[in-house]
Order: sequence, then structure tokens, then C-alpha cells
Amino acid sequence: MSLGVFSKSEPLTLGVELELQIVNNDDYDLAPVSGDLLRLMGKHKIPGNVTPEITSSMIELSTGVCQGFGQALSELGQIRDALVDCAERLDVSLCGGGTHPFQHWTRRRIFETPRFHELSSLYGYLSKQFTVFGQHVHVGCPSADDALVLLHGMSRFIPHLIALAASSPFVQGEDTGFNSARLNSVFAFPLSGRAPFVQTWSEFEVFFTKMMRTGVVKGMKDFYWDIRPKPEFGTIEVRVLDTPLTIEKAAALAGFIQCLAHWMTTEKPFKLSEDDYLPYTFNRFQACRFGLDGTFVDPETGEHRVLRDDLTTVLSRLDTHAGDLHAEAALQYLRREINGVGNDAAWLRRIEDENHLLPEVVRRATKRWHG
Amino acid sequence: MTALDSGARVWAGLAVTPSSELMFIVGVLLAGALAGEFIAATTRLPRVVGYTLAGCFAAAFGHGVAMPLGGAAQTVTDLALGLLLFEIGSRVHLRWLKRNPGLAVTSLAEALLSAVAVAFVLRLFDVGWQTAVACAILAMPAPAAVSGRVALELGAEGQVTQRATLLTALNTLYAVVALILMRTWWAADDGGSLPQALAGLAISLLTTLGVAALLAGATYLAARRLDLRNESAALLLFGLVAFAIVAARSIGVSTLLMPLLAGLLLRNTSERPWVWPRHFGTSGGALVLMLFVIVGSAWSPKILVAGGFAALALLAARFAVKTLAIVALSRWSGASWRQGLALSITMTPLSATALVMLSELMRAEPELTAGAVPIILASIAVLELIGPIAVQFALRLAGELPPAPKRARPNKEAS
Repeated sequence: MSLGVFSKSEPLTLGVELELQIVNNDDYDLAPVSGDLLRLMGKHKIPGNVTPEITSSMIELSTGVCQGFGQALSELGQIRDALVDCAERLDVSLCGGGTHPFQHWTRRRIFETPRFHELSSLYGYLSKQFTVFGQHVHVGCPSADDALVLLHGMSRFIPHLIALAASSPFVQGEDTGFNSARLNSVFAFPLSGRAPFVQTWSEFEVFFTKMMRTGVVKGMKDFYWDIRPKPEFGTIEVRVLDTPLTIEKAAALAGFIQCLAHWMTTEKPFKLSEDDYLPYTFNRFQACRFGLDGTFVDPETGEHRVLRDDLTTVLSRLDTHAGDLHAEAALQYLRREINGVGNDAAWLRRIEDENHLLPEVVRRATKRWHG
Repeated sequence: MTALDSGARVWAGLAVTPSSELMFIVGVLLAGALAGEFIAATTRLPRVVGYTLAGCFAAAFGHGVAMPLGGAAQTVTDLALGLLLFEIGSRVHLRWLKRNPGLAVTSLAEALLSAVAVAFVLRLFDVGWQTAVACAILAMPAPAAVSGRVALELGAEGQVTQRATLLTALNTLYAVVALILMRTWWAADDGGSLPQALAGLAISLLTTLGVAALLAGATYLAARRLDLRNESAALLLFGLVAFAIVAARSIGVSTLLMPLLAGLLLRNTSERPWVWPRHFGTSGGALVLMLFVIVGSAWSPKILVAGGFAALALLAARFAVKTLAIVALSRWSGASWRQGLALSITMTPLSATALVMLSELMRAEPELTAGAVPIILASIAVLELIGPIAVQFALRLAGELPPAPKRARPNKEAS
């Protein structure tokens, strides 16, 4: 399979994909009923799409192409309401969060499609360990070269995005100490990490052809990069976000990404360089482990800052762009978390501290998702 | 006196002849566990088939339990079934019925229509009305033990497993209430007045509800303070439920309805998840094992002959009508027809719940019940081995059993 042409898309449009947990209402463990849920969803008219995921207790929803934060929020709301309606008919609940706090991976079942079984036979237990839940945000790009430039510019904010979205402190019944333990599962895959530093589509095609020749990849789908170009849609896809606990947060994160993209394409505030990636994995680890309290190393100056403070600075630079994009409410939502209540990982830990019962934590999280 | 003699004398002084109850419990436990493990090691069937088989053998050689149940058999049955019904109740959200009216109608239809069908079919066999109605009520509940235990042992998960729990809780509820109503009606026919009988029913239900509320409250307090996921902490819960069941038996409150209501109260008055080891872990597992052996032994060749064709007709009518109702309503309730069929099959077995209801009825109204005894006991006997195997088949049909483990091929690339 070749890379194909990079489709045209309207610049800065958004698409949001969310992987969701389906849990039972009894002990709030994962429930393998995605097939039932999809069957019932067939009768609902929704914008976007709902599709199965690799294990049968996950489901993925995606919006259509959205102009901005407002439309994304409205489409997510419609899809959420339809899903909740179907889930209640099955006496199950839906839940955000990057991991299920106490599910056991050996009990997961692979959803019945050839591709999922193929992945399962290749990756073995990793594919079941991969019962993690992420949010992907697509940003429309006018051309393939623009896409690669935006991709490398956006990479600088991967730690900020990880820290804001982190919602996976618990794995297999234990507090991992991480804010986003989900990304540790993603890093186990051989082709995870970052895209190579090339800024033109022709150079990218050379890289892709070489990788194809090694036989290691068969298509873009085999790269599990933090941000990857999506030629079919004409977008770049940000993949580091944990699924948030509410659709409002999911829309706010998408709005934030759109503001960042608007800032970078209109003002070109940074000169891209391969050296930007020197502190990349350090920054990413800090964000996963400590969330908003993590250290951020500025790739240009080498200065060390706390992510929370750097985010405050970044958000203040984005205000005018948010005005242009009608995304003020998105930034406001994130400011509230940065300055006060903290990210979703902090919320989950707080509920566990109060109750000492992870099933109760999941129940409270389903309440927030159901809205 | 030799050293050997004096040793023997000291030893003899220590020996205590075991009571017959102890012998019964130990024998049942040992036979059941042995047969269960044999089945698990040699076949892919669930262990309950082995437990039941142990009981069947005992009955075939004339050592089945006597009806009505008494002594250790009654204690074990009360406790095991009570624990199961408490757990089933505590897993049922009644709000599901409101959100899914198709399911509520399914529940009423499968229970009531199958009871009506059973009564009419038995009339064709020249069975008296009273006996026919008694049999219809006794054949209404799906067993609390069979589908739950098979699903637990095989690790089944999904809508059929979940809906089986709901339908079992509800049809057990209908059946016990119908049984109490029938007894008050018989009592009224006996010379008492109808208002008197109804007052008796109200008092009986209120007392049951009172004991159930006490049990639910005590469980709530324990669960808020202890982590019942820990098997040792769950023993306290086990003790509470056991105490409530013994208390219920001693004041004449239904040992089926009380724990079921307590579980329902616990689940539906608070949103907090109640998590304890399924079937109360190993302790509950031992009781459930003995329950299967006892139910498996509640027949004799003579009873099979006496129950005979009437029992077979009862089972055929019951299965046909339950299946018709559940499959016909499956789309409305948001299930596929295949899930509907699987759910009907999991509702088919007839076991401990019916046995305990029959036993209570025999003790209260021996003459009126006499006709129903062979029909119900023969029905239970016919289904007790096929039941768990059918449930396993149904769960596989619905795709709710985990796939059999495959051997991993080393260093396999995606092709």
C-alpha cells in the first residue's frame, strides 16, 4: 500500500474521536457489550459515527468535520445522549478516563473482526493491555507540507496536552503514581514515539517508502506516533490525549488545539529544528508522571519551568486567537482546571481518597460522562 | 495388659460417634466435590453437572433426601438458596425495567403465560384444578443456582447473563407471592373468611419486608466500613445473611422472599456499588455445592413413574411458552433473536427454588399438595442434568463465554 495523495481539507477544521469504556452497573467492571450497543445505535440519527474498538468493552465515537469548539461540543453532546440512551436500555454505563481503574487485561475479549484478530495474534498480550482509552483530535491542513510543519510545531506542546488531558492514574487496581499511565501502554508498541523530522511531503514519502521496503509497516495505521499525518483526511492527528471524563473537557481540548494551530499558522512563533526533540521524551515523561506539576524544558532556551506556569503563559498568548475562533469558553474551561481543581487524574484520586473503593470511583466517573 | 491394648483403650476413650447430620453434611460435601472435580477433569462441562450427578446416584440407590426437607438438608438448602437469592437481588436495578419497558413486559409474559400454559396442559392430563395451579406456581421460577453458577464458573459475561439474573429475581418474586396468595385462598376455602386470609397475607408480607429491611440495613453498615472484596471481611456478610435466614425460618417468614427482598432493597435504595466475592467466595461455594447434591437426590424411581408424562408435558409447555414470550419480545427489549433464544434456554432449568417451595407447601398443606409432589419432583429430576448443560450451550450460543485459550505461536509476524 502506498502513502497515497494528501487530501485537501479546510484549514483548521476539527474532528474529534473518543474511545470510551463500557462498564456494568453492578461492580463497574468493563462489560463486553459493544456489539449490543452498536446494534441499538443503528436506530439513532447522529452526526459523525460510532464504531467498534479492539476489545468488546470499548467503543469509539467520532464527530464529523467541525468548524470549531462550539460545533464539536454540540456534536459530542448529540452522540453522547444517543449512546447514553442505548446504554441505559442495556443497564450498562459509559465512562471516560484513559484506563479502567481495576479491569484485568486477561479477561478482555477481542471484538470479532479480522483486523482486530490479526493485531491480537501479532501483539499478543499487548493488544489486551492496550485496553486504554484515548482522545484523538484531527486538525485540517491546506497542504501536505503545511501539515508536516504544523505537526512539528505542535510537538512542542505535547507535554502540555498530556498534562491537561491526563485521566489514567489507576491501572489493574493500583495507583501507578502517574497522571497518565495510559501512555506507558502506548510506548510499549514498536512504532510509537514521534514522527521523523522532515518538513516536506516528498521527504516524508522517501521515509515511508524506505520503511515499507523493510517490511515493518504496511501503511500509516502501523505508526503509533504521538502526532501523525492522516493523508486520507488531509489532517494531522494528535493522539496523546487520555479520554477526558466529560464531553465538555473533550471539546475544550479540541478548541485549545485549534487555537494552538491558528497561532502557529498565522504568527509562526517558532523556528523548527531537529534539536526541538532533544528534551522531547524527558518532557513527555514529566507530563505523564507529574501532570500539571511536571517540569517542562524549553527546547530553545533550555530553561526549566513548571508545566502549569508554562500553560498559563501559553493560554494568555492564545486569547486573541480564541477570539477569532469563538473558543474563549474552551480556554476558560482549561484555566479553571489549571488554577484550581486540577486535571481529571486529580479528580479520580480525590474520589478514591474519599471512598477507598475503585468501583465507586468508576460509578462517579460514569455520572460525569452521562452529564 | 500390653502396650497395644492400653493404647487402644485411650484411643477408644477419645472416639465420638458422629451425628447423622454431620455424616450427611460430610458425605454430601465429599461426594459432590469428588464428582464435580471428576467432571471438570474429564469433560468440558461445568462442575455443577458433577455435583448433581452425585445426588442422582444417591437417589438411584434409594438414599435420596426425604420430602418435605428436614434437618441438615433443610438447613443447607435454606442457607445456600438464601445467599444466592440475596446476591441476585443485590444485582438487580429496578430502574432498568423503567428504562426498558420491553424487558418488564418480557418478565411478566414469560412468568405468567408459562404458568397459565402449565395449568392448562396439566388439566389435559386430568389433573385437578388445585394441583394444576399449584404446579403452575411451583414451575414459575427459574433456578437461582443453575444459570448463575454455570455463568460464574465459565466466566460468562454479557446481556444474556445479565438479563437471566433480572428475570430470575422477578419470576422468583412472582412465584413466592403467588404461593402465599394461593395458600391464603386455600385457607379461605377451608372455612376461614377471605378478608381474614388477605389480612394474613399482608401481615406475612410486611413481616418479610421488615426482616429484609433489617438485613439490608446491617449489610449497608458493614459495607460502608469494611472492604467486602476481601474474603475474610465478606465472612461477616455471610454471617449476617445466614443469621437472617435462620431467624426468618424460626418465625415462619419465607426464606426465599426475605433474602431476595433484602438484596433488592440494598441495591435500589443506594447508588453505591456493593462488591463482595461472587457467591460469597469459598464458604458460599461449599453451600452451593451441597445444594446441587441435595436437589439432585430429591427423587426416586417410583416418583419418576408417578410423575411420568404429566411432568414431561409440564416441561414442554413451560419451555415452549417461555421461549415464545422471550423471543417474540426480544427486539422490543433491545436484544437479538439469538440472545432471546439463549435467554429462554437459561430460564428452562427447574431446581432448588421449586423444591423449597414444594417442601414448604407439603409441610403446610400435605393433603392438598399430594398430587403436585410427583409431578414437580419428576420435572426437577428430568431437567437437573440437562439444565446446566443447556445453560452452557445457551451462553455459548449468545457468545458470552470467553474463547477457549489458544496456544501462542512464538515469533509470529502479522500476515
